[in-house]
Amino acid sequence: MKLRIILIILVSSVLCLSSLYIGPKMINPLNMSGLDRDILFSIRLPRMLTAMLIGIALGASGAILQGILRNPLADPYILGISGGASLMAVTGIVFGIGYSGFLSVPLLAFTGAIITGVIVGLISYKRGSFWHGRLLLAGIGIGFLFSALVMLILGISTHEGLKRAMLWMFGELSMSDWDNIPYGLFFIVIGLSIALTRVKALNALMLGDELAWNLGFNPSRERLILFISVCLMVAASVSLGGTIGFVGLLMPHIVRMTAGSDNTFLVPLSSLAGGALLCLADLIGRTLFSPLELPAGIITALLGAPYFLYLLRKKDIIGG
Amino acid sequence: MNPLEIDNVSFSYSAAPFIKNLSLSFGNGEFACIMGPNASGKSTLLKISAGMIKPLSGKVMLWDMDIHHYKGKDRAKLISYLPQMLDLGMQLKAVDIVKMGFYPYDIPPELDSDKALEMVGLSDKKDAYINHLSGGEVRRVFIAMILIQGAGIVLLDEPLANLDIKYQIEIIRLLKEIVKNRGITVLMAIHDLNLAFQFDRAILIKEGEIVGDDKPENVLNEDNLQRVFDIDVKVLSYNSGKMSIRYG
Amino acid sequence: MKRFCLVLVFCIILSGAAHAKPPERIISLAPNLTEILFALGLGDKIVGVTAFCDYPLEAKKKRNIGGMSNPSFETVLTHMPDIVILTEDGNQKAFEERLRKKGIRTYVFKARRMSELPQEISNMGKVLGVEQSAASLSRSISNSMENIQGRKISSHSNKTLFIIWPEPLLVAGPETAIDDSMLLLGFRNIASDAKTRYPQYSMEEVIRKNPDIIFIGKGHEDMKAISHKLLSRLHMVNAVKNGRVYFISDNLYRLGPRVIDGIKELSGYIK
Repeated sequence: MKLRIILIILVSSVLCLSSLYIGPKMINPLNMSGLDRDILFSIRLPRMLTAMLIGIALGASGAILQGILRNPLADPYILGISGGASLMAVTGIVFGIGYSGFLSVPLLAFTGAIITGVIVGLISYKRGSFWHGRLLLAGIGIGFLFSALVMLILGISTHEGLKRAMLWMFGELSMSDWDNIPYGLFFIVIGLSIALTRVKALNALMLGDELAWNLGFNPSRERLILFISVCLMVAASVSLGGTIGFVGLLMPHIVRMTAGSDNTFLVPLSSLAGGALLCLADLIGRTLFSPLELPAGIITALLGAPYFLYLLRKKDIIGG
Repeated sequence: MNPLEIDNVSFSYSAAPFIKNLSLSFGNGEFACIMGPNASGKSTLLKISAGMIKPLSGKVMLWDMDIHHYKGKDRAKLISYLPQMLDLGMQLKAVDIVKMGFYPYDIPPELDSDKALEMVGLSDKKDAYINHLSGGEVRRVFIAMILIQGAGIVLLDEPLANLDIKYQIEIIRLLKEIVKNRGITVLMAIHDLNLAFQFDRAILIKEGEIVGDDKPENVLNEDNLQRVFDIDVKVLSYNSGKMSIRYG
Repeated sequence: MKRFCLVLVFCIILSGAAHAKPPERIISLAPNLTEILFALGLGDKIVGVTAFCDYPLEAKKKRNIGGMSNPSFETVLTHMPDIVILTEDGNQKAFEERLRKKGIRTYVFKARRMSELPQEISNMGKVLGVEQSAASLSRSISNSMENIQGRKISSHSNKTLFIIWPEPLLVAGPETAIDDSMLLLGFRNIASDAKTRYPQYSMEEVIRKNPDIIFIGKGHEDMKAISHKLLSRLHMVNAVKNGRVYFISDNLYRLGPRVIDGIKELSGYIK
């Protein structure tokens, strides 16, 4: 058990670090030219950090959501938050408000995500209770509505930014730079810290509301707190790099199989593993057809979708 | 001072009252069961007693303080509640669940998870996933969790439902032993009237009102059972002092 | 029998005549085709264009029949065109087949490269009954390509990147009018090794290949504002260091009459 945890940490760190040095061109860390150093610091490092932040946010929020929704197939985007982010970002890109200095596209996306989180939260909160079934359905409903609006905008627009909007929806790391990292870091660290202080409540919630109550937790309140932490992390991650599929769904399961379901380990480890997976996906995306770049979201989905189908086949995970 | 006083509580889910001005009190070391037909208010009464539902009127006093004035964790150290439905969607190991009994505590109490699993006879299933265990084993896992939780009052909602008779007897024996050894109070809702004779105290409830509350042999008489369950039964006593109910 | 043959011959002549008659109602399904039509003096005959057709300005006043890949079949029909002009490069083949099945004449424009443009304009001119103006347009395109041959940028500092959109970094790749024009003038397109025509290009590769010149084409937005961040990240690249970043027009974006201006414009940056 301890060995496996160490293994996950080790593999993840190696993946993250190697994504700095491997790429279309290898960089030898012991013998860097000036050009190598430039590329390392201005391109690869911010890119790796962005990938890690997004992966951390998605891995952690996937594990948390699977717990609070008591659904092993929940994914961070199921709450519709990403739909709201995409809507705002695409609107910004297409109507050209995303470039006027202060209102950058990431900021627009973040605002959209938070607004959506509040809407979903308000819909789910009824008569003092915060029910997971309602949360799930509200998220799905809002998600559908917003993605329809996004498609509507994309359908009627002839703007060149269209391609950016499309790429953005598939997850886009090529534009990562130092500018966005501090605020992404800020919200993701806050969200993750909230979550890490509530791992016990999350474990208890997995047993159902009544047992959580028995153990001294207020299920509605704990769910709301965890929901807020997920909102912060997902909003920040979406604004950093668009929607990247399957990290949030996939990593918690891989970690569960190696280190068990206890959220004390699951949440931090699946966030770490999520960061590593995204680093790997981005590495593949920028190396495979170099100098052409593939959005990392496509790679994660290519790795993730077959696994998702395999999970569906394997009854165990669903609890049968 | 009694550890748990249910004082004149009423509750309703709709316009019609469901629990009507009901009062009960429990002392230390009681081993009590509560019986009644479906929708008689057993589960609701247990949830009110656990503080999970707030009564519309009346009070539940836990060690002389309104149960709703406790902080969650403080309450969880004094009273625990095991629901009837243990619906487990997630893969968790038996030992993970048992260890959750420590959650209300900052400094863990003396009983450790291995000991608790041993007490419920599941030492060998420690690392088994809960969804691979039988119904009886799942119940015992949760009873082990409650043992660790260490509350003086334990409320169980039909913990014997859907279990083989062997497990029913096993669980009752286990709880009886714990009551004896640790002086806790157990109140559980049961279905099988014959099992009531295993308890020190039996409470009969119908339509949110108490029909009988005494030693089982006094409560489970033909009149009461006719009134509550609308059935004709024969209560048989044996020379050994044991009793049984014959239906039909 | 004799009579029947006569009728047949008559019919053939008639249909031939109908075919020869220049179309009066034209629909263009691509922005470069719309530009060519206007350049050939057929502006008045256009009854429908795509949402992307924004040049010349009059094109915007024409009926909109939808996008390039998804034009509205119904709208095309309601405008009763004599001919619909499509391009292999951007329109769907199935759409063209559907039109033909409905009995609507079509012309598919086949040029994809600059070198194919003059000949294809002449071909189209014949079909549209404007042979002469087509010939003269095609000649002036050929001329502008040939006359440039002498003026080439020196091969010392000719590594060039043509940016279409800065975020994400979309550039002009191989087999585009931009690539062709750059080749013509001696600019070496560093992105010609990409596998697609308008690739999303690796920033890292830009830094490694260190272009001497960066062109940034015109877009819907203020390109200077949008490109600011990109250029500051490319600060170590020669083009940025030496102030050889040029914001230019979108003349070369479309394989049409404006390539003449585009080539002239690019040649202005030869030092």
